[in-house]
Amino acid sequence: MARFLAGRLLRAFITLFLVVTFAFVVLRLSGDPAQIIMGADAPHEAVAAFRQAWGLDKSLWEQYLGYVGSIFTGDLGRSMRDGRPAAALVAERIPATLALTIPALFLKLGLGIPAGIYAALHRNSAIDRVVMLVAVAGFTIPSFVLGLLLVLVFAVQLGWLPSGGQESWRHAILPVITLGIGGAAVLARFTRSAMLEVLGQPYIRTASAKGVPWRRVVSGHAAPNAAIPTVTIIGFMFGSLIAGAVVVESVFSWPGVGRLMVVAVANRDLAVVQCVLLLVSFTMVAANFTVDLLYGLIDPRLRTGAQGGH
Amino acid sequence: MLRRTLLASPAAIALPLAAPAFAQADTRPVLTVAVQKISNSNTLEPPREQSNVGFRLSGLFSETLIGTNWTGDLSAKPELATGWRRIDERTLEFQLRPDVKLHDGRVMSAEDIAFSLGAERLYGSGEGNAGRGVLAGATGKEPPGDVVAAARRSFPGFERIEAVDETTIRFVNRVPDLTLEGRMAQNVGAIFSREAFRAAESWLAWARRPVGTGPYRVGEYRPDTSLMLEAHDEYWGGRPPARRIRVLEVPEVSSRINGLVAGEFDFACDIPPDQIGTVERHPRFEVLGSAINNIRIICFDTIHPTLRNPLVRRAMAHAVDRRTIVDALWAGRTEVPKGLQLESFGQMHVGEHETPRFDVAEAKRLLREAGYRGEPIPYRLLNNYYTGQVPTAQILQEMWRAAGLNVQIEMRENWSQVNEPGPNRAVRDWSCTAVFADPVATLVRAMGPNGELQRSGEWKNEEFNRLCGVLETGTDPGARRAAHARMLNIIEREDPGYLVLHQAATFTAKRRDIAWRAPRGWPLDFRAGNLGFRA
Repeated sequence: MARFLAGRLLRAFITLFLVVTFAFVVLRLSGDPAQIIMGADAPHEAVAAFRQAWGLDKSLWEQYLGYVGSIFTGDLGRSMRDGRPAAALVAERIPATLALTIPALFLKLGLGIPAGIYAALHRNSAIDRVVMLVAVAGFTIPSFVLGLLLVLVFAVQLGWLPSGGQESWRHAILPVITLGIGGAAVLARFTRSAMLEVLGQPYIRTASAKGVPWRRVVSGHAAPNAAIPTVTIIGFMFGSLIAGAVVVESVFSWPGVGRLMVVAVANRDLAVVQCVLLLVSFTMVAANFTVDLLYGLIDPRLRTGAQGGH
Repeated sequence: MLRRTLLASPAAIALPLAAPAFAQADTRPVLTVAVQKISNSNTLEPPREQSNVGFRLSGLFSETLIGTNWTGDLSAKPELATGWRRIDERTLEFQLRPDVKLHDGRVMSAEDIAFSLGAERLYGSGEGNAGRGVLAGATGKEPPGDVVAAARRSFPGFERIEAVDETTIRFVNRVPDLTLEGRMAQNVGAIFSREAFRAAESWLAWARRPVGTGPYRVGEYRPDTSLMLEAHDEYWGGRPPARRIRVLEVPEVSSRINGLVAGEFDFACDIPPDQIGTVERHPRFEVLGSAINNIRIICFDTIHPTLRNPLVRRAMAHAVDRRTIVDALWAGRTEVPKGLQLESFGQMHVGEHETPRFDVAEAKRLLREAGYRGEPIPYRLLNNYYTGQVPTAQILQEMWRAAGLNVQIEMRENWSQVNEPGPNRAVRDWSCTAVFADPVATLVRAMGPNGELQRSGEWKNEEFNRLCGVLETGTDPGARRAAHARMLNIIEREDPGYLVLHQAATFTAKRRDIAWRAPRGWPLDFRAGNLGFRA
């Protein structure tokens, strides 16, 4: 078990290191923050002073080593736009994003898993086809299109809900639905596939032949064994809680981490972008790490390295 | 009389306001305005926000000594000064409006003027500090480098402010300047409270809540999200018609339109021309707007091997059918100006100057004469930073192709990438705002020796630069006009540094039952007299 954990931790560390390095290099090679933030009209001496003040006049290596070193001391830098700590700026926006993504996650789980199981248990029935048709539609319609469609219907035509902003819980309904439908569709498809695969296994037939009630076969044998691929997807969804709403936040003018990210990238506000990326990659890595651990709990073979069938 | 005509009448706006507004203070409505962006820099200090984004809102909470008639002919009008006169070619004397209340409750004084136009707010403590201040993470009051740069560009000859008496001040320039009146109307010179600045804990805190004299005072500002402006009931120009203005940042145009139609917004700014019909299909809404004091141009990099030859640049200017672009992409709702100038320049407008005519045969002849053999000409393009920028570029590319020019569009993400010097920098988009009604605001400010075009190394002309001096410090109106005419000829015809496309236009969608006149520029005006609510 210790070796299993050590391997996963090393992989997580390497992933974080690669994300940090990649973001650092790409951001610095794709636009000069001094020119973008100061504006094209700023005098050369002001731009030079800006570069010096922010260490942009140093070599890329020096900047990189300084940045990595400061991460280890817990200093994620300051925003070049307004001088505030990047971590504070990002932290301010996290509650707004979670206010969308957590309810959306519950919506995905609450709709997607039951729909997938139901469709699998009624394979090739009319209900199965309808569920899968809706799932394919939900999966393929881009979130910005779905969001605008929902706004047109529920805000513009019916006038039931606000079209955007963040002033009350009612403002969150349409963005949560927009986020939730796509994820629920993905979960429904994966759950159905996993359930169908498991339901075709010999041990399911054996359990049924032994007279185990069908409901118990499904809940005690099929569902747990179908959980591994579904848990993987749910892990990704947990990982995207912080940055999974970039497009939806723009469509609904929701001031969360996604909006902050878009503005910071456009302005090459390096510390803020890097802080968001670090946070996103950390949550993604942490979610994957947790999923790896859950694999071990769900399937002892993965924990012990044992092979063989049931 | 048509409803539209009624709305265009100042009386129609003034009358419905007055009665209900004074009868019951708290019944004034809250106005919600959706904009694409509230502030690029996350501050509200005008010199820090020298773009359409900042120009749009700054007039709501701050004012200058000399104002601009934005809903009329763009002429100068008294604002915080009731009058002004020339003492000499370097000195302008202002009679201050009495009893103007600042948002902190104090009466505006000569000290506030001296502070607002002086070093403490605009120029900082010295050259060595340029670029420091808030942008470098400091917490002091030193203005950031871009504020200093904007101030120096706006008032390049500023020497000092003299207080003659409590209600009279003088702006003294180092050199003669006939454009001082125009310069004083720029929002960089807005007047703020000296005491409030000194009481603020940092420059950033100040810049996010500047204390001015405008009809609305800054309330809560949430960067990238919203700005609340509260009515300044002691405003010298009359009690504001709205109790509060909620400015909301809504980046997507479809979301702004949806919010308007759903009844959540009263105004939606930055409506592209192709969406005007979409809005006006709803009988409760209309779109107002027109050509403004900003001109779209295409810049040439004369270092590029192909564009080094002025004949190629002249051919490019002749190959463009500007009218077709205006009709196709702007629904005909803007103008093709006579070069980089506006009629509001008055005597300085060179009426006999014309943009190079659309003439494909002439373009082909010039290219033959230049020995052009189809060498590629890169065109660095941003994704719709300007309204209709990408479709305009695609149309231009086809027009140039028709004349035999091989222009290759290269998409870029930001201005830094567009402006980056190199062998493949040749053609790019730009726009030029006449921040005051004189060619100094266009040709000298943008194209002169200290303007962006020359500082970036894209273009230079010795004769043009000499004439910049005549425009800037000359005192003979006739000589200045002649210099302007010659400069236009040089930079648009003989040795093109850019080609003029058309005037920009801005369109604002609004509820029809709100009486309001659209500005002929970026600034929104929600003062009494330009905003009214029908019962």
